[in-house]
Amino acid sequence: MSDDEEMVGYRQQPGKISFSRPGSGGKDQFSTLRDEGMIPESQGGNKSQPWGSHRHDELVTSSAIGKRTPLIDSREKVTGRAKYGDDIRLPNELIGKILRSPHHFARIKSVDTSAAEALPGVIAIATGADASAKFGVLPVTKDEHALAVNLVRHVGDLVAAVAAEDEATALHALQLIDVDYEILDSIHDMKEGLENSENPIHDRGEYHIGEANIQKRVYQEFGEVDNVSENAAATHHSNWTFGGINHGFTEPHAAVANWDSRGRLTLYTPQQVPHYLHRSLADVLEIPMHQINVYRTFVGGGFGGKSDPFPHEMCAAILARKSGRPVRITFDREEVFLTNRGRHPSHIEMNLHADSQGRLCGIETDALIDGGSFASFGHVTTYYNGVLHTAPYEIGAFHYTGARVWTNKPASGAMRGHGAVNSRCAVEVGLDDLADQLQVDPMTLRLANLLPPLSATITGFRITSTGMRECLEKVRKASDWENKFRKLPLGHGIGIGCGFFISGSGLPIHWDPNKFPHATVHLKIDMDGGVTVHTGAADIGQGSDTVVAQSVAEVLGLPLDMIRVRSQESDTSPVDLGSYSSRVTFMNANAAISAAMKIRQELLDATAEITGADAAHMVIGDRRIYVKRDPAVGVSYLEALHKAQEERGALVASGAYRTPPMGRAHKGAAAGLAPAYSFSAYAAEVKVDVETGQTKVINVWAAHDCGKALNPLSVEGQIIGSCHMGMGQVLSEEMVYGRTGHLMNGNLLDYKIPTIHEMPHVTPIIVESNDPEGPFGAKEAGEGPLLPILPAVCNAVYDAVGIRVDELPITPDRIHRNIEKLCRAQGVSDPLDLTTPKLKLSSLQETLAKRAAEHEQRDIDRRNNDGIEPYHNGALFGYDPTLPADEQSDEWKVSVIPTSEYLAEPRLAGSAWKHTERRHRGESS
Amino acid sequence: MTKPNRIPMLPQAGNRQWSASVNEKSVSKSIPSDAVLLDVLRDRVGTLGVKRGCDMGTCGCCAVLVDGEPRLSCLTMAAEVDGKKITTVEGLADGHHLAPLQETFTTYGGSQCGFCSPGFLIVASALLEKNNDPTDEEIKNAVEGNLCRCTGYQPIVDSIRAAGKILRDGKEATNPTDPHSNPHPGFKGDDS
Repeated sequence: MSDDEEMVGYRQQPGKISFSRPGSGGKDQFSTLRDEGMIPESQGGNKSQPWGSHRHDELVTSSAIGKRTPLIDSREKVTGRAKYGDDIRLPNELIGKILRSPHHFARIKSVDTSAAEALPGVIAIATGADASAKFGVLPVTKDEHALAVNLVRHVGDLVAAVAAEDEATALHALQLIDVDYEILDSIHDMKEGLENSENPIHDRGEYHIGEANIQKRVYQEFGEVDNVSENAAATHHSNWTFGGINHGFTEPHAAVANWDSRGRLTLYTPQQVPHYLHRSLADVLEIPMHQINVYRTFVGGGFGGKSDPFPHEMCAAILARKSGRPVRITFDREEVFLTNRGRHPSHIEMNLHADSQGRLCGIETDALIDGGSFASFGHVTTYYNGVLHTAPYEIGAFHYTGARVWTNKPASGAMRGHGAVNSRCAVEVGLDDLADQLQVDPMTLRLANLLPPLSATITGFRITSTGMRECLEKVRKASDWENKFRKLPLGHGIGIGCGFFISGSGLPIHWDPNKFPHATVHLKIDMDGGVTVHTGAADIGQGSDTVVAQSVAEVLGLPLDMIRVRSQESDTSPVDLGSYSSRVTFMNANAAISAAMKIRQELLDATAEITGADAAHMVIGDRRIYVKRDPAVGVSYLEALHKAQEERGALVASGAYRTPPMGRAHKGAAAGLAPAYSFSAYAAEVKVDVETGQTKVINVWAAHDCGKALNPLSVEGQIIGSCHMGMGQVLSEEMVYGRTGHLMNGNLLDYKIPTIHEMPHVTPIIVESNDPEGPFGAKEAGEGPLLPILPAVCNAVYDAVGIRVDELPITPDRIHRNIEKLCRAQGVSDPLDLTTPKLKLSSLQETLAKRAAEHEQRDIDRRNNDGIEPYHNGALFGYDPTLPADEQSDEWKVSVIPTSEYLAEPRLAGSAWKHTERRHRGESS
Repeated sequence: MTKPNRIPMLPQAGNRQWSASVNEKSVSKSIPSDAVLLDVLRDRVGTLGVKRGCDMGTCGCCAVLVDGEPRLSCLTMAAEVDGKKITTVEGLADGHHLAPLQETFTTYGGSQCGFCSPGFLIVASALLEKNNDPTDEEIKNAVEGNLCRCTGYQPIVDSIRAAGKILRDGKEATNPTDPHSNPHPGFKGDDS
């Protein structure tokens, strides 16, 4: 509005109002002015925007975003009122218990339930015959049954389920069920899974690969893959073994099923993906989806472990249908371990090559992962083990072979950092080794090889914002890196690791022939002024309810206590795909913002009608809508709301988010594709007792680029929590299978989650790179922060004692064995006399530092420049950055089919390609 | 097929009368004589805030106060605590006034998924009862038997430390039933 324009409109005179105002009373009588410190520069505020402006800037009202906000449901939790799965107690309930297979692999010849049925108090019994339909989280690999049909595939596989009046009766009934098994040869070593077998664990029909137990195989070649090792100035080679990891959430699985008198099912369960469960229930129970209400209870930790539709959830529904009464099934801790879906045990062979200019000219990864007995998310995991380490570095060649095999173990699945954790560890430790060989600082090596903002990776992922460089710089400073790296005494070391992770997956799991959004949010505002947010996003403790409330509060200028979130029931919530792949904040908050923008416009229009001022010049402050330049012209939120509600009643709005078209066209191009990516860098300081092999992490400086911290309290919580979980995998956690193939530590005493005494001090550092697509600039913060802690600790152990670990967890016995080896190699008898690695910088260091400085300027120019030219991976190697390198030269390969040359000498997981699919052998299933 | 002779492993135990004061309310229930306190509290008394995480004393989610001392209710026979004073997480708040510890667990992020919170709150409240100015080391020693998978413990230590400060300074905890924001602000004085 120009200065000479006459101000029009009705001015409110505080205290001189002739009618009594509508609305409720309260102690806070005055709306506070907008906090200019929170309003971005682009809107005339004082909040500096070093990363440029954002499309949501004009929606910022300084109400909620960016403030340390306690979770809106946390009072329920601290008072013990929050209802988790097993806390749902319905009148007349029955207790369900599950009979599980004692065998690794067996054919069920018969199941006799007559004795159990005769037991007084037993109301219903279900077996595989009651539900023959298959289900699974991914539609392409539906391979699970509610209860075993024909085969049991691991110890703990579900055979029969009983519903009885009480737990003791149900347990007794399980003992009375007679199952006749024919035991089959089981497979426990994942390498065996690559070979042909007489009885493959699953039969994929015409898609079956050979006669082997290969569930999924991936082959990818990008870049100048030929002669990569000949051109390299330094090469790192390692062979990693990673143990299986369980999520270790504190709440065991539980499900309560209840069919109402109209024949509708309500299933109460702590689920991360209620929508996928909804679909699976419809498949298995053979009823339409609209007859099912999935009720997500409070979730006592998920981390990926509650993101499959589970057989026991089907069992509860089947038993409840049979008995006509509610059925509650709760797991004990051993059942949780036998259900698993944790991180895959893996063999990863990693070759890294750097050329004479310190460029990363090749990554060759071969990952064999042990999927256990079911597919779960395995398709995706197999890709993620490769494609998620194609950034943050610019690379000259990327060659990935991956295979996931079935073995007769509890199924592996998605776990925090899905598929990326183990191979990321191998890459980052490899970089540390390359830096050692090239005699450069590993920080500088990383800084001189980063992809810029608004670029494309070697496999075609679209990187919008990146704060990788800032993460590294901040960690370097905070950790006092210069004075510690290679300068600490024996047994004391520091190490660095980086991470890169998706912020939501670009494609929904269900490839329906439609354009459903990934997330939808409904808002309802009635005359009371409170805003009801309906969303299907599953709050699993990460605080998604809080973030969605904050987003709505921010746009409408309301305090958080006026927002109530209803996210638990599928009956009332619009579909959200679920809490996996770190998608919820990004997608759901975007959907919430777009819904809130519609309400905002209605409020502005109503204000314009009351005051006569132009809606285009109005802003929303704290519960007030007014003209930006003359705050006296305006009305309170309730007045505007009531004006807007005249004749029509409650305001309702729906907003949705769907990812834009992205990525390239090769097979598997969609795996790992995300609308944005998070970046992180951690430095870890450890102490290793060289006499006992005991490792203790004492300090972690953890920088994570989450775009914008919508709730810094939660972001820091995620960072520290990720450090805890990742550190457990490095130091002590591993699912141990004994010689007979049985899980040896299916309880929380032997499966060693770090206690408070193992926990180092973590300094969380939030980097805000202001992602153009993210809600208010935000990206994920839930999984990415886990990745860097593993390699940071491993690299710190090398700095402390000179041991390159290649097997996790680094239990004292493993470290001690390596120390003994090292003593022999160095010819010392006392480990206290060991010599630790020293830093001697070569001339390359200067080259790298210079390049890093140039790139820093390049990155700043790119991110502050609209209409910037494209940047494709390959530019560092002399290609034109504006085009994908493969369009410029035949030397630059893009291939997803192995050549016969490769197959003559395949690597371990690559040997999966020796088999031919049945359909290509001309056999029908 | 001949059926093997089966011996039920769960012979029914006889019932006994059990009474205790749970959260300052006296309860009297007929319970199996071999009942575990956790089961009695969850299934008979209805204090579902007491959580079951592992059933073997490793996670600490089921901690309750017995005569002011923290005990793992999954490893305690109900009969052992007959007639005693039991406090669960539900008994920490005073009416609608949250205990300082409960307040700080929300404001410092000590509770994420919240499943372990009842256990931590119980153990920490016993610590603060004895010592409202604990060192970090004392806090860690007090909660070492509790597992948390979300927070990485650091925010929990912060929460307990802050609660100690509130207790020392005598600041009253907030009352969630107090009126919050007025949606119709911007005016001075009364409106009538």
